[in-house]
Amino acid sequence: MTQPRQFCGRTRREWLWETGAGFPAAALAGMLGNDFLARQSRAADGSAWTNPMAPKAPGASPKAKSVIFLFMYGGPSHVDTFDHKPDLYPLDGKTIPVKTFGRGGHRNQGRAVGPKWQFQPGGKCGKLVSDLFPNLRNRVDDIAFVHSFHAESPIHGSAMLMMNSGRVLSGFPCLGSWVTYGLGTPNQNLPGFVVMLDRTGGPISGPKNWSSGFMPAAYQGTLLRATGNALNDLNPVLSPADQRRILDRLGQKNHEHLLTRSDNSELSARIASYELAYKMQASAPEAVDFSREDQSTRDLYGIGKGRTDDFGRKCLLARRLVERGTRFIQIYSGGAHNDDNWDAHSDIVRNHEKHAGNTDLPIAGLLTDLKRRGMLDETLVVWGGEFGRQPTAEYAQGTGRDHNAYGFTMWLAGGGIKGGIAHGATDELGSAAVENRYHVKNLHATVLELMGLDPNGLSYFYGGLDQKLVGVEPVEPIRAIMA
Amino acid sequence: MAVLLVAAAGPLPDGFVEKELMPLLRQHCGKCHLDGKNKGGLAMDGRLALEKGGDTGPVLDSKTPRQGTLARSLSYEGELKMPPTGKLPKEHLDKFMLWIDAGGPLPAGKAPAAKTHASAPADDAKYWAYQPVGPVSPPVVSGNAWARNAVDAFILAKLEKAGLKPNPEADRRTLLRRLSYDLTGLAPTPEEIDAFVGDQATDAWEKQVDRLLASPHYGERWGRHWLDVIRYAETNGYERDGAKPNAWRFRDYVIRSFNADKPFDRLIREMIAGDEVAPEDPDAITATGYYRLGIWDDEPADPLQARFDEFDDFVATTSQAFLGMTMNCARCHDHKIDPIPQADYYRLLAFFRDIPRYSNDRNVMSASSQRDITPLDRRKLYEDELRQRQDLVAKLTADRTVLENTIIKRMGAEDQRASEGPDRPLVLKKLKEFQKGDEGQRLRQLIDSVREMERKPVPSQVFTLAINRCSPRPEPTQVMARGNPHAPGATVEPGFPKALGGATPAIPVADPKAPSAGRRKVLAEWLASPSNPLTARVWVNRIWQHHFGRAIVASSNDFGKYGMPPTHPELLDWLAGELVRQGWKAKPIHRLLLTSSAYRMSSAGRADALAKDPGNNLLWRQPMRRLSAEEVRDSFLQASGRLSLEIGGESVYPPIPAEVLAGQSVPGSGWPVSPPEKSTRRSVYVHVKRSLQLPVLGQFDQADPDSSCPVRYTTTVPAQALGLLNGKFSNEQAGHMAARLGKEAPGDIRAQVARAIRLTTGRIPVAAELDADAAFVKSTVAAGTSETEALRQYCLLALNASEFLYLD
Repeated sequence: MTQPRQFCGRTRREWLWETGAGFPAAALAGMLGNDFLARQSRAADGSAWTNPMAPKAPGASPKAKSVIFLFMYGGPSHVDTFDHKPDLYPLDGKTIPVKTFGRGGHRNQGRAVGPKWQFQPGGKCGKLVSDLFPNLRNRVDDIAFVHSFHAESPIHGSAMLMMNSGRVLSGFPCLGSWVTYGLGTPNQNLPGFVVMLDRTGGPISGPKNWSSGFMPAAYQGTLLRATGNALNDLNPVLSPADQRRILDRLGQKNHEHLLTRSDNSELSARIASYELAYKMQASAPEAVDFSREDQSTRDLYGIGKGRTDDFGRKCLLARRLVERGTRFIQIYSGGAHNDDNWDAHSDIVRNHEKHAGNTDLPIAGLLTDLKRRGMLDETLVVWGGEFGRQPTAEYAQGTGRDHNAYGFTMWLAGGGIKGGIAHGATDELGSAAVENRYHVKNLHATVLELMGLDPNGLSYFYGGLDQKLVGVEPVEPIRAIMA
Repeated sequence: MAVLLVAAAGPLPDGFVEKELMPLLRQHCGKCHLDGKNKGGLAMDGRLALEKGGDTGPVLDSKTPRQGTLARSLSYEGELKMPPTGKLPKEHLDKFMLWIDAGGPLPAGKAPAAKTHASAPADDAKYWAYQPVGPVSPPVVSGNAWARNAVDAFILAKLEKAGLKPNPEADRRTLLRRLSYDLTGLAPTPEEIDAFVGDQATDAWEKQVDRLLASPHYGERWGRHWLDVIRYAETNGYERDGAKPNAWRFRDYVIRSFNADKPFDRLIREMIAGDEVAPEDPDAITATGYYRLGIWDDEPADPLQARFDEFDDFVATTSQAFLGMTMNCARCHDHKIDPIPQADYYRLLAFFRDIPRYSNDRNVMSASSQRDITPLDRRKLYEDELRQRQDLVAKLTADRTVLENTIIKRMGAEDQRASEGPDRPLVLKKLKEFQKGDEGQRLRQLIDSVREMERKPVPSQVFTLAINRCSPRPEPTQVMARGNPHAPGATVEPGFPKALGGATPAIPVADPKAPSAGRRKVLAEWLASPSNPLTARVWVNRIWQHHFGRAIVASSNDFGKYGMPPTHPELLDWLAGELVRQGWKAKPIHRLLLTSSAYRMSSAGRADALAKDPGNNLLWRQPMRRLSAEEVRDSFLQASGRLSLEIGGESVYPPIPAEVLAGQSVPGSGWPVSPPEKSTRRSVYVHVKRSLQLPVLGQFDQADPDSSCPVRYTTTVPAQALGLLNGKFSNEQAGHMAARLGKEAPGDIRAQVARAIRLTTGRIPVAAELDADAAFVKSTVAAGTSETEALRQYCLLALNASEFLYLD
C-alpha cells in the first residue's frame, strides 16, 4: 500500500481534499463538540478528519486574534484626510507639472486642486488630521498612519481585487480567506469571515471581492447585515415547531442512511451541518440584537443619529462579532457607483463630506469602545481604500480628483500596532509615495504576521504552485509600525 | 582587501569605493543583494557578480552609464525603482552616480554560480509521464469469474497482490441510479428502474449502458466536465463583467460534439486551430471560442501586462487541459520541479502569438472575437437582407437630406452656402432654430431608425464567439525576464516542451494576406498525435475520474512531480492505447469502464478492506459521491416535475433572491430574469456569470471559472443546510412536488409518501419507513398545519435527505 506522501510540505490530506478524492472538505461533527460523532468519522484516506474552520494554532505568537478591515471603497483622497500637504493649498487652480495615472490615462500636468479642509493636530502625538474627521482626530494616539502605499492599478475593479486578494487578476483567495484558512475560527456558530456591505450596494465586481478563489468555498466571506435578516437564508420559512419536526425526522432518516455507511465522514458532517444551521438561526440574530447595549454605547457609535446610524450599527456589530470570536470582518463604506462611494470625480467637498460624515463618529466610537473593553490589544483595525486620489483635478471644471495608485494613505490600529505614529511619505504634492514606500502586499504581510501567520510561509497548493497571498517573492511586513 | 578597479574607471578619489560606496551599498542594497542574497537575480558582492547583472540583463552600461538599469532604477526613472522603499537622499544618490559614471568598480569577488536546474536531466528523461505509451497486456488473474474485461484484470491483479477482494455487485436500483447520474446527470425514473430490475436478459446491463450513452443528455453531463477544464464562462469578469456575445454557441458545440462522440483528436484540432484546419466549418470556427472564454480586463492599468495575461491564460489552460502539464509555473522562472525551462513557456506562447486581443476597446462585440458563421444556404438570404437594408438606409438618408435642405432654406444665405461644403455639420447644428411643426420629430426618427438598423446584425446573419482577424506575421516572441513583459529578452520560435522532445517544428512564414500565422495547426497536430505521450493519457484519465470518483492520476491537470503518482500506471497506459485504437472516441471507453465488474461494485464499507486500504487506492469498492451542483438543482426540478429538458440555445437566467443580488454594485445587472418555462431548464444552460452565481449552484461547489477546474470540491457547510431548508428555490420546488404527489396519488398519504421516496431515491420504501413518514405528515397536520402545507413540508424533508443528495 502506498504510504502517505508529502507534497511540498503539505500533508496527503490537503492533497486529497484538493483533488476531491473523497476527503470531506468540512466534516462538521467536531464543531458541535460531539466526540462520539468525531470518533465515528473517518476521512477517505483513513485518517481522522479535520474541520477546515476549526481553530488552528498560529505558527508564531499572534499580536491580534481578529481583524476589522474598514474598506473605504472608491478611494479616499489622502491629501484631504490624513496626509497634510501645505504646499498644495496655494497652488489651487494653477496648472502644475505632475505625473499622474488615473481613469483619464497618463498625464504630465494638471490643474491643482488645493485641499478643501484645514488640518488640526490631535492626541498627544499631535498628528495632523483634516476637519473631515473631528472625532477620529481624538484617537490618533492609537493609530499608525502609513502615507506611502502604492498599488498596481488605478482602475477600481482590478485595484479592489489587488487590495482584497493581492492580485489584479480575479480567481485568487481574499485576505479574509487566507486568515481563516490559516487560523480557522473559534466560534463555529457564526461564520469566520464576514463582509458587511454599504446600504447602497456592493462594490464593483461584487462577490469577487470576498471570494475564496481556488480555495474551497468554506473560506469565502459571508454577507452579514446589521439590520433585518442577518444572513442569507437565515430566516426560517417555517414556524419553529414545524422546523424542529422536520429536523428531527430528517435527522432520523439521515442517521438510518448513515448506519450502513458509517465509514463516510461526509455523511456525519452533513447531519451535523443541519444542527449547526439550526443553531446559527439563533446565534446570528443574537449577534445582531443590540437590545442589551446601553445608550451610551449606542451614542458612542452614533446609532440612532441619522447619518451615522447605518455605519455605526455595522461597527458595533463588528465589535460584537469580535467578542464572539469571528476572525475577519470587512465593512464597506460606500457601494455601487460614482458618488455612492468615495469616488469623488466631480465634487470632492460634497462627496467626502458625505462619506467622512457618515463614518467618522462610528469609527472613532469603535476604537474607543474596543479600547475601554480591553479588546483593542487583540483586534487589528485597518482603514483605507483601494487607492488614493490625485492632487490635480480630473476635469476642466470642479474639484473632483482622479484615482491615484502611485501614493496613498492607510492606517492601522490595535493588536500589535504602534500607536501615534506616521510612517512613510508622498512627495510635496501627494502625487506619489517617495519615502519608505510600501506595496499593498506589505500591508497583507503585516496583517498575516500580526495574526501569527508567516506571510512568506502560508501557502496553498494550486495549479502546480505553492500559492501565497503575497506572491512568489518574499515580502516584508511593515516593521516600523509594529509594536 | 585587494581592490581591483575596472579599467574604464574615471577619476574616483582614492579609497572611495571602500570608504564611501561600500557602506552605502550595504545600507541601501545589502538586504537583498549582498551576502549571498540575489533578489531579482542580482548579487552586488563583487565585480564579477555585478557584471553578470540580474534577471533583466546587465545593470551597468559602459557606453552611457546613466542609461544603465542600475542608474535608472536608483534615480527612479525606469521600470524598476530601487530601493523599493523610497528614492535615495540626494547626497547618497550623487555618490552612487559618481561611482556608476566610473564604471561601477568593485573588488572582483566570487564568480556567481551558474543556474542549475532542480532535477538532473537523466532523471527527467526517465520520468514516467514523458515516456511513450507502451504496449501493455492485461495481467493474468486468478479471479476470472469476477474479471469481465481487461479493466477488471488490472484492478483485480493489484487487489489480489494486497490480499483484498473486490466488493460484490450493487443492487440493480443502485446501479441504474449511479449509471444515470454518471452519464446524464439525471435520476432514472421509477419506471426505468422497474424495467431494468425486471429485465431477465443476460445483457440487461449492457442495454442500459447503451441506452444512456445514446441519450442527448449524455452530452450535457460530459460536456459540462469539459467546460470545467477549459474555464468556460459567458462573461469577462472585472468591473463591468460584460457578457461574451454568443458564448453559448461554444457550449452547444461541446454538447453536440460529445453527443456525436466526435473523436478527441478532432476536438483538439477544432479548438486549437479550427480556423486553420476547417475555416468553412461553422463548428470548427465556434470551437476556437476556446480562446475567448477566459477573464479579460477591458480597462487594464498596464495594457502590455494584460496582453500577456491573456496569453498566459492560453498557455495555462492548454498545457493543463491537454497535457497535464503546469507550464504556467514557468512564466517567470524555470519550473521548480518539473523539467520545464522558462523558454519552453514562451515557445508554447509563440504558437498563440497570432491571436489578437479579445477586443481593442471596451466593446464586447469585437471583430477580433466574433465571426460570421452564417450557413451557406442562408448566406444568400442574409446578403439579400443586407442589400435591402442598404437600400432602405440609402432611402432614409436621402429623405433626411431633403428634409434638412428644406429647413436650411430658411437660414441666411451664408449658412445655405456653407451647407454645400465641408462645414455642413456646423450648419446642421442650427437646424433646431429653424425647424417647424413635426420636422424635428421626423428628423430624429430618420436618424434613429438608420442607427438602429446599422447596430443590429441582419436577421439571417449568424455570429459566433471565436478568434478572428489573426495576424499572419505575428510579432516575435521573447522570453520575459521574471515574467515581466516590459523586460523582453531572447527571441524564441514556436516549439514543443523540452521534456517531450523539444522539437522546433518548421512552420513556413504565412502569406502576408493569410488569415492567420498557421502555427496553431502545427501545435494541434502535435497535441492530437497518438505519439504524444500525454494527450491520450490525460484524456482517458479524466474519463476514469468521472466514473470512479478519483482519477488514476488524481491530480488530473498535473501529471508532473507535484502531482499524484498513478495508482494503476499499467491500466492508464492500456486505456490510453485503447483510446487511440478506438479512434479517440470516448463512448467505447465509457462502455468498457461501465461494463466492468469494477464499476458495478457496491460502495459498502468492509472492515478488512478499510483496515488495509482505507483510501480505496486499490479500488476495492465504488466510492459514494454527492451530487454535483448541477445535479442537485436539476434533481430538485426533476422531483418536483418542473424540469425542462429542452436542449441547446441561449442561456437562461433563473431568479436570484434580492438579498444575493444586493452584493452587486448594481443589483440585478447582467441578470435579466428568464420566464418560468426557461428558468427550469437544466443547469448547464444557466448563464455562467463570473461575478454572480445561482445560490444553489454556488453552495454545492460549482466550478470557479476564472481558471481551469480539474476536480470539484465537495464541501459540507451549514450554508447548504440553510439554503435548502430556508431558501426560496427549495421551498418552491417542495411546493411543486407536493402538488405533483397530490395529482399522482390523490388523498392517500401513504401512497404520496411512497411516491416521494421513489422519486427522490428510486427505492421502494419498507413499511416501517412509510409508517414513520406518514406519521410525520399526520403530526404536522395535528399541530394545526394544513394538509397541503404538511405534504409540502414533507417534500422539503425528502429533498434534504442525504439519500437524495448522495449516490449509493
